[in-house]
Amino acid sequence: MSDGGTARPVRPRPRLRTLGIAGGLVAFTLFAANEVHFDASTVWEVWTNPLWEMFWPIPWDWVLDRSNVLDPLVETFQIAILATIIGCGLALPISFAMSRLTTPNRPTYLVSRAVMNVVRAVPDLFWAKLLVTAVGIGAFAGTWALSIFSLAVMVKLFSETIDNADPRPLEAARATGSRHLPAVRTGVLPTVLPEYVAYALYVFELNIRASIVLGLVGAGGIGRVLEAQRQFFRFDRILGMLCIVFVVVFVIEQVSVALRKRLV
Amino acid sequence: MTATHAPPTAPRPAPPTGVKRRRALLALLLIVGAVWSLTGLDITLDRVLGAPGDAWDIFKRLWPPAMGEALDRGVVGKVFESVYIAWIGTIIGAVLSLPLAFLAATNVAPRWIRIPVRQLFNAIRAVPELIVAVIFIPITGLGPWAGTLAIGLHSVGTLGKWATETIEGIDTGPLEAVEATGGRWVSGMRWGVLPQIMPIVASFWLFRFEINVRASAVLGMIGAGGVGAELVSQLRFRNFTAVGAVLGITVLVVLTIDSLSAAVRRRIIAGAARTSGPDVDGDRNAEALADLTGFRR
Amino acid sequence: MSWRLPAFTSTPTPDNYPVRVIRFEDVSVTYRGGVQALRGLDLTIEDGEFVVIVGLSGAGKSTLLRALNGLVPATSGSITVDGTEVVGASAAELRAIRSRIGMIFQTFNLVNRTSVLNNVLMGRLGSVPAWRSTFGLWPADDRERAMQALERVGIVEKAYVRASNLSGGQQQRVGIARALVQEPSVMLADEPVASLDPVTSRQVMGDLRRINRDLGITTIVNLHYLDLAREFGSRLVGLRDGELVFDGDIADVDDDTFMEIYGRALGDDDLVGTQDDQT
Repeated sequence: MSDGGTARPVRPRPRLRTLGIAGGLVAFTLFAANEVHFDASTVWEVWTNPLWEMFWPIPWDWVLDRSNVLDPLVETFQIAILATIIGCGLALPISFAMSRLTTPNRPTYLVSRAVMNVVRAVPDLFWAKLLVTAVGIGAFAGTWALSIFSLAVMVKLFSETIDNADPRPLEAARATGSRHLPAVRTGVLPTVLPEYVAYALYVFELNIRASIVLGLVGAGGIGRVLEAQRQFFRFDRILGMLCIVFVVVFVIEQVSVALRKRLV
Repeated sequence: MTATHAPPTAPRPAPPTGVKRRRALLALLLIVGAVWSLTGLDITLDRVLGAPGDAWDIFKRLWPPAMGEALDRGVVGKVFESVYIAWIGTIIGAVLSLPLAFLAATNVAPRWIRIPVRQLFNAIRAVPELIVAVIFIPITGLGPWAGTLAIGLHSVGTLGKWATETIEGIDTGPLEAVEATGGRWVSGMRWGVLPQIMPIVASFWLFRFEINVRASAVLGMIGAGGVGAELVSQLRFRNFTAVGAVLGITVLVVLTIDSLSAAVRRRIIAGAARTSGPDVDGDRNAEALADLTGFRR
Repeated sequence: MSWRLPAFTSTPTPDNYPVRVIRFEDVSVTYRGGVQALRGLDLTIEDGEFVVIVGLSGAGKSTLLRALNGLVPATSGSITVDGTEVVGASAAELRAIRSRIGMIFQTFNLVNRTSVLNNVLMGRLGSVPAWRSTFGLWPADDRERAMQALERVGIVEKAYVRASNLSGGQQQRVGIARALVQEPSVMLADEPVASLDPVTSRQVMGDLRRINRDLGITTIVNLHYLDLAREFGSRLVGLRDGELVFDGDIADVDDDTFMEIYGRALGDDDLVGTQDDQT
């Protein structure tokens, strides 16, 4: 092995920059941990806290009473449906405006991207809280807030799909002397439509889950019941509610996944 | 068209009826669903027409945002607190989810461990962070640590699922090589799987961080630390210009983090593509990424 | 569409029939990256001609066609189609010009997920109002045109089949039908057979030749297969590095001409061959 021939390479040393970045990240992490009052002992405390007794036993008679859980759940469902329809409906034209492939002109492209970036940067429940203040407590505000959330998610997913779509049929459409909108409608839309429907189903799933928490800020649905029970410390009822809710969510998810598989 | 000698052709086919019927059914379903929901939620036309006006009324009052006062009150610090919560929370989620993901992947873990772990991920994912925080706060008390725990725990679910899918998408060549040398299962994971998945997984961690920043802002609204509490109190006192400032600063910070994170993620993925061998299914992973970007949970 | 400007504004002949001439005058095209695809091109094509353009990849063949219908803007010079100037035309004028020029592509450029009929109907996009095409409400006589176009290229039985389920040759025929349905006076074909096998290539070239003969549509075809050019072309134009190096009858073409156009001797890659030659 050590007979000369090619010299052994020197083991590459980690670059200073890499070390610097790693060190910076570690320092940042330690700083942040301090700021959030990192306390590993609380995890043990959480585990052994007698408060957990308040979660048990689950009062099934209360949970299964229609007006307590099932009706608000229906309301949650309805909010999710409307929000999906409105949000995904608006997302269709906006995604086309936002995509380099199909945007009619540069100003439209820039403006739509800028607006959507700002909309996406606002946390979803902030929207809900704002709208509750504006139009009052209840499912109405929740529907609006969730529509905005759906729009934001859908636009991100769908405009990326459009960006990656085959541009060649669009070129052929332009070559026939078509205006911009019909060219996009006939040349691009059929190609991306299956993905659109798949994403819409996915957004519906997200909305079901999100509308659960909407109620925590007063925006209707099952979350309102959650918040009410929380204030009375009735965690046993909350646990019961959550059981029902998660069964429903699970079922909807399975159906949605199955439908999506058939599409794409 | 000018008359020509067209060659003899086949008879014209009849238009298919199935497609039209399916579309009509779908449209009907949507309309019925919408109407049912509208009536169920008691959303009448006048409410719909009045809402934009009410909303615009409020939004108008957000401008000009009272930035100076906000800076004095330490709003920026609060926003950063949300960032710290998201950072630590994501790290907790990442550290816990990665080992578990190895136990959940179909190609590396036996059935009797796989199924419980996968169900665990699903169960955790199903609980929104807000609800986790709601459950934790009475026990840990208010403050950023409750929020951090909530985010950390919830992230285990999502990051676990993504990591599992990544592991299942790898090229098994290096893994077989380790087995062939008589290596133990753990070594196989460490040397055969981990190097392949790290760039993608790290990219997912960053993406989750972006989402968690928003989540931690929201958690503040129930007292789990961060800027949410500020928003709620300003709204309660109807100091709309202050609300505008809170929103503005939050949006700025979120946008910055998003851009930085996206840039870093691109570099990580690009680096991985450069150094990986021809067998790595970059397309599948890129597809998974594209598939999952924008997924909020 | 009475409110649309006529595509060609030249003075009509006594038959009230526009004189159809395509003229390139000193046309140069430089792409944004600095690549000059066409240099000082002069070319005149009369009505009803069948012109084959040959040359290496990157010689400017695609650019020539796309400059003609404005898909690629010419940097300088003048391109007139029946007296209407293409270079510098407004968006509306370009649309009008394009609706009278049909184009078929090497990669067919069909919408794979929809039916053959819907693809062919796209040819009418330049003539129907936007709302009709947006909602898929094509007029009955446009549907009739589409069916007739499909009959002409011999695949009408596939009208409702998804485009991606067809073979390459059939897909190109759909492309031809889509161009025909425009009722064009000019047909542009950008390497129409490069993705097809020899037998299908000859069928498609035969279709183009037949359409040119029967309907009198001026046809310009880009090819890089010399034997096909010889078999089907009558006038040959050779491009090299963006310049026109040969323009004449296909019968006058010999090995020296090829050298001039290609800068090298003829090789196997330049011939589509027959079925037996395929390795």
